[in-house]
Amino acid sequence: MGSGRCAACRYLRRKCTDDCILSPYFPSNNPQRFVSVHRIYGASNVSKLLQRLPTHLRAEAADSLYYEAQCRLEDRVYGCVGLIFLLQQQIHAAESQLIKTQAEIAVMKSQVQHP
Amino acid sequence: MRKEDQAIRVPIMSASSTGGGGGAPCGACKFLRRKCVFGCIFAPYFDSEQGAAHFAAVHKVFGASNVSKLLLHVPVHKRPDAVVTICYEAQARLRDPVYGCVAHIFALQQQVVNLQAELSYLQALLATPTLELPSPPLPSQPPPPLSISDLPSASSLPGTYDLSSLFDPMVQTSWTMQQRQIDPRQFGGSGSSSLTGGDDLQTLARELLHTQTSPQLPYTDASASPPPPLSK
Repeated sequence: MGSGRCAACRYLRRKCTDDCILSPYFPSNNPQRFVSVHRIYGASNVSKLLQRLPTHLRAEAADSLYYEAQCRLEDRVYGCVGLIFLLQQQIHAAESQLIKTQAEIAVMKSQVQHP
Repeated sequence: MRKEDQAIRVPIMSASSTGGGGGAPCGACKFLRRKCVFGCIFAPYFDSEQGAAHFAAVHKVFGASNVSKLLLHVPVHKRPDAVVTICYEAQARLRDPVYGCVAHIFALQQQVVNLQAELSYLQALLATPTLELPSPPLPSQPPPPLSISDLPSASSLPGTYDLSSLFDPMVQTSWTMQQRQIDPRQFGGSGSSSLTGGDDLQTLARELLHTQTSPQLPYTDASASPPPPLSK
C-alpha cells in the first residue's frame, strides 16, 4: 500500500495499519468513494461487514456498498430501489409487448395457412 | 386514535406515532433499549411489535444514527417510502452480504436484456412475409456477467413510484421468471440467496406498508382499496 494512508483512515484521521481492512477497497486516490459509503453505512458497519466475508469477495462487496450508497445519496427516499422499480416497469412493458407480438404472429400464421 | 381513523386521515402513522408519553416504546427504541421520547423520529414507522425486528436489520446494516440523519433529510410525507426502501436494502444486504439488493438489480437487468432480445427476434419474424427466420444463433459462449460499473445512477431515474408494485402479481410473476432463467453463479458471491429471497423481500414491503396504513387494512380484503400511489 505504500507509506500513505488509505482514504478511510485519512478521512477518519487515524493511522492506517498494514492490516487495515478498508485500505484495499478505499484507496487514497478516491476519497469521495469512502465518504459516500461512510455517510450511509458508517465506517464501523462497513468494516464489520467486510470482515465477515472471505477476502476474495470483499472487493465486490465494497463496490456494491458504494453503488447503493451513491444511489441513496442521490435519491434519499428510494435509493437503488428506484432502479428496481424502473426495471420492473421495463420488464412489464416488454412482456406486454411480447404477448402482443406473439398474438400478431399467431394471427399472421393462421392467415398464411388459411388464406 | 381509532385504527380506522389512522387509515383514513393519517395512513402513515402507527399507534405509537408520537413516541413516549408513557406508551409502549416504538420498535426502534425497544431494540435500542432506550426511552422513546416524544417526537421520536422512528416511532411512526417501527411499531412496538414487528417494528423491532425490522429495525434490527436496519441498525445492523446502516446504524440508527445514520438512518436518523437520512430521515431528517427527507420530507415527512416521503419518510414512509424511505423507511420501506431502507428496510428493503437492509434485509437484502443481510441475506446477501456481498451484493445486497444489487443482485436483484442484476437479475432484473438480465431479464430486461433477455426479453428485449426475444422481442427483437419476434418483431423481425413478424416483418418477414413467410414468418420464417433462422433460429437465433446460440451464443458460442455465455454473455459476459454484468458489472456493478454498468449499472445506471439513481439520478437518472424518475422520482415517482408506487411501493405497492413490489407485491403486484405481475411483478411477482416476473420475479419468478427470473429465478428460472438466471444463473446466479454469473454474479459470483452468494447471489443465489437474494434471488430466492425475492418473495420474502416483497413480503417485507407488504408488512411495512400494512403497518403504516393499518394492520387490519388488508389487500386481502376485497372491499378495501389500496392507498393511492405515493409520489412527490
